[in-house]
Amino acid sequence: MGTDAAFLDVGSSKLLDRVTLERQFDGLLAAHGPALTRLAASYTNTRSDRDDLLQEIALAIWQALPRFRGDCSERTFLFRIAHNRAIAYLARFRSQPPTVEEMEVRDPALDPESGLAREQTAERLRTAVHRLPVAWRQVVTLTLEGLGYGEIAEVLGISQSNVGARLTRARQILRESLEDPK
Amino acid sequence: MNIDSELDLWRRQWQSETAVPLDLRRKVKRQSRFMKIVLLADILVTIGIGGGAIAWAVRSPQPDILLLAVVTWLFISAAWAFSFTVNRGAWSAAALDTAAFLDVSIRRCRGRLAAVRFGAGLFLCEIAFCLGWIHHHAPHHRTPLLPWLLFSSLFIDIVWLCTLAFFAFLFWYRRKKRAELAWLLGLQGQSEPRA
Repeated sequence: MGTDAAFLDVGSSKLLDRVTLERQFDGLLAAHGPALTRLAASYTNTRSDRDDLLQEIALAIWQALPRFRGDCSERTFLFRIAHNRAIAYLARFRSQPPTVEEMEVRDPALDPESGLAREQTAERLRTAVHRLPVAWRQVVTLTLEGLGYGEIAEVLGISQSNVGARLTRARQILRESLEDPK
Repeated sequence: MNIDSELDLWRRQWQSETAVPLDLRRKVKRQSRFMKIVLLADILVTIGIGGGAIAWAVRSPQPDILLLAVVTWLFISAAWAFSFTVNRGAWSAAALDTAAFLDVSIRRCRGRLAAVRFGAGLFLCEIAFCLGWIHHHAPHHRTPLLPWLLFSSLFIDIVWLCTLAFFAFLFWYRRKKRAELAWLLGLQGQSEPRA
């Protein structure tokens, strides 16, 4: 009887852990889903590739979540996993920068009148970011998501001065690319 | 344009895309289940072949059958030993950051390339042993080995077709992994050495 009670205790505690984990996972996806989607889009050419990569990222987060002990911020934890998955994805498929026709990963503008121009400039920015070499693209996407030098250095495992150097060079290329899109 | 206002503008443009695919959580659960099934299948294959060989040897304890069971387990042990050796230090990254992940990805890629060579060698040994064993036990085993090996039955045809398919797969996989390794090394070259 005592053994049964202990077994039930272990069982219910496991169930509770799983429910907590699922809630945490849902919360993370709800809070950071859009950022992870943009990140996945910056490494892929088509919507279906983006969704595949996003699924891999979400699976990696689901698997790593039980080991998350809060020794870094949630955002750093998520972006580390996401960038690592994206690197593995690129290594497998070595996706090339997209042609204009291939760049279909975008939201249709909600308001055609005012949204079109805005959407076009955003589209040009996404294409320009996508064309950057991976090491610079990582720094740019994290910066555009609002991470500071310290957090980016922590995510990528490089020094803050390297983050700064890469960002300066990447911004210069982005500027040129946006002024003269080809 | 001021440098920070430029960055702010880019940030706003960048973050204007917000579509998250539906059913992501369900897909993750499905994929998670599938990975567990694949792991289980790997274990079952080892137990099935190794266990089958032992069961046969126990039921008919003749020297030939015992030899088959011993050699089967030698092959299985060699495969597991190689797998543990090649995966040592490659199970997880030393740190969670991308630079450490890149290190472990390169190690894994080299491991896969070594596994291709080992797999080809092991497969040849297995085929040589199994065909020799079957030829020795076939009712018409007085047929000379060479004519027997060259398309003497549907079974032999299937063996050679599978061998061909296996080596074609290894060739394709090796090319893919070599390209992957070159890409990863190039990416590592773009990064600074870790402090």
